[in-house]
Amino acid sequence: MRMEQTGKVKKDFIVCKDVMEEFPKADEGMFRVAENLNFTVKENEFLVLFGPGQCGKTSILNMIAGFDLPTSGSITVDGQEVKGPGAERGMVFQTTCLFPWLTVMGNVEYGPKVRGVGKKERRKKAQHYIDLVGLQGFENHFPVKISGGMKQRVGIARAYCNEPVVMLMDEPFGHLDAQTRYLMQEDLMKIWEREKRTVIFVTNNIEEALYLADRILVLTNCPTKVKAEYKIDLPRPRDYTDPDFLKLRKEISEVVDHTL
Amino acid sequence: MQTKTPAQERRDKIVFGTLAVFLFLVIWYLVTKLTAFGEIFPDPVTVLANIGDKFVNPLGKVTLAGHILVSIRRVMAAFVVAAAGGIVLGVTMGWYPVVEAIFKPIIEFLRPIPPIAWIPISILWYGFSEMSKYFLIFLASFFVITISVYSGVKSVDPMLIRAARMLGAKDNQLFTTIIIPSVVPYIFSGLQVALGNSWASIVAAEMVQSNMGVGWIIITGQQSSNMVQIVTGIVCIAVVGMLLVMIMRGLENKLCAWNKQGR
Repeated sequence: MRMEQTGKVKKDFIVCKDVMEEFPKADEGMFRVAENLNFTVKENEFLVLFGPGQCGKTSILNMIAGFDLPTSGSITVDGQEVKGPGAERGMVFQTTCLFPWLTVMGNVEYGPKVRGVGKKERRKKAQHYIDLVGLQGFENHFPVKISGGMKQRVGIARAYCNEPVVMLMDEPFGHLDAQTRYLMQEDLMKIWEREKRTVIFVTNNIEEALYLADRILVLTNCPTKVKAEYKIDLPRPRDYTDPDFLKLRKEISEVVDHTL
Repeated sequence: MQTKTPAQERRDKIVFGTLAVFLFLVIWYLVTKLTAFGEIFPDPVTVLANIGDKFVNPLGKVTLAGHILVSIRRVMAAFVVAAAGGIVLGVTMGWYPVVEAIFKPIIEFLRPIPPIAWIPISILWYGFSEMSKYFLIFLASFFVITISVYSGVKSVDPMLIRAARMLGAKDNQLFTTIIIPSVVPYIFSGLQVALGNSWASIVAAEMVQSNMGVGWIIITGQQSSNMVQIVTGIVCIAVVGMLLVMIMRGLENKLCAWNKQGR
């Protein structure tokens, strides 16, 4: 159960301990995606995993989601070891992964529906989240008819509507144009401040990381591990041109590994 | 060039389509009236008049409408069974690797055989009976539907399965809420091809062995050197075939609206 926020020290909500993950390579031998991976996430913290492209950020998210299990080490969420996908963890995918045969409403209410929530209650809840992401009026549209930014809003509403304790976001704005991306970041912050969740957000965009994060973990190239950690105390909403913002931007950019 | 609204484009299609058909009939008429082609082929007016006449006066045992209905009934009876069987087998083949391993080679082997190659067997087994027609129609549609549905299950986006699992869907719910809707467009494309195959096969079957149906009209026309009757049969086959496809498309557009790009 979620803790009261007032007066208590926030506990470690997600714990990744000595995580190592290997895949068999196509030819022979093993490909090591992650090793010595240790980090924790506090309840209601907005954690950003930042690292170069293909560094294994998504692999980490997939392990927390339960799609893949670590080769060794352990991942616990709220004290429970992750053994597979589960509704208490919500995921927002880079490619949106909306169900094309369902309307916006159908997508958002899917989680509660398969978990057996009654129609009236789940409709009400879905409507709340559709309104929250600013899609009122589009309830009966099919995904094929709405823009990329709107699709991702549906993805966020769908994950939120299932009331997960953790939100996993895998470069959700990676496919959007720059202008839409700024707008989505702003709106995501507003949503998160209204409805706090523990968030792990993966990105390879330093500005995005700095705009959103309570804390940034800089990851190394494969096999990935935590290279540096930054607590971001800048007041919200943040300003991309604020001198402190730019200073951090420069500092973190110099730390991160570069790949071609 | 000015862009046209969808309504204008639809109207253009209807106008030009109607004009083209009319023009085709006029050319057909003129060619048969002005050239020697008219000695070996009837003109459209005679054919249309004959079609109208045979809707009232029987041709053989029943009227033209009767023949058409007999053929459609034969197709539908076997088609429904083939569709149901093909959908079930296609889905289970796609979902269970064991079922796939067992049935896929057999189906890949039988599928390329054209339905009319089965006609001799159907006659030796079932003779004049309706069963000989059902047998053929079943073969003409079952494999097409099975393979189409099977490939539909195989091409379900694994990311959508992930998304559904993440939202709490259990295995049986994955099946009903993700697999089945993903496969619906494949079912329809299978049904459409199968229905075309079936209609072509029933005509062939009736030409070889029957006492009723549109294929029978053509073959008795040949036996009595009645060119008007042959062309009457051909026109009926074309029109009914076209209507069957249109009905299937209409159904698909209704059920798969989400799959249509753009407007």
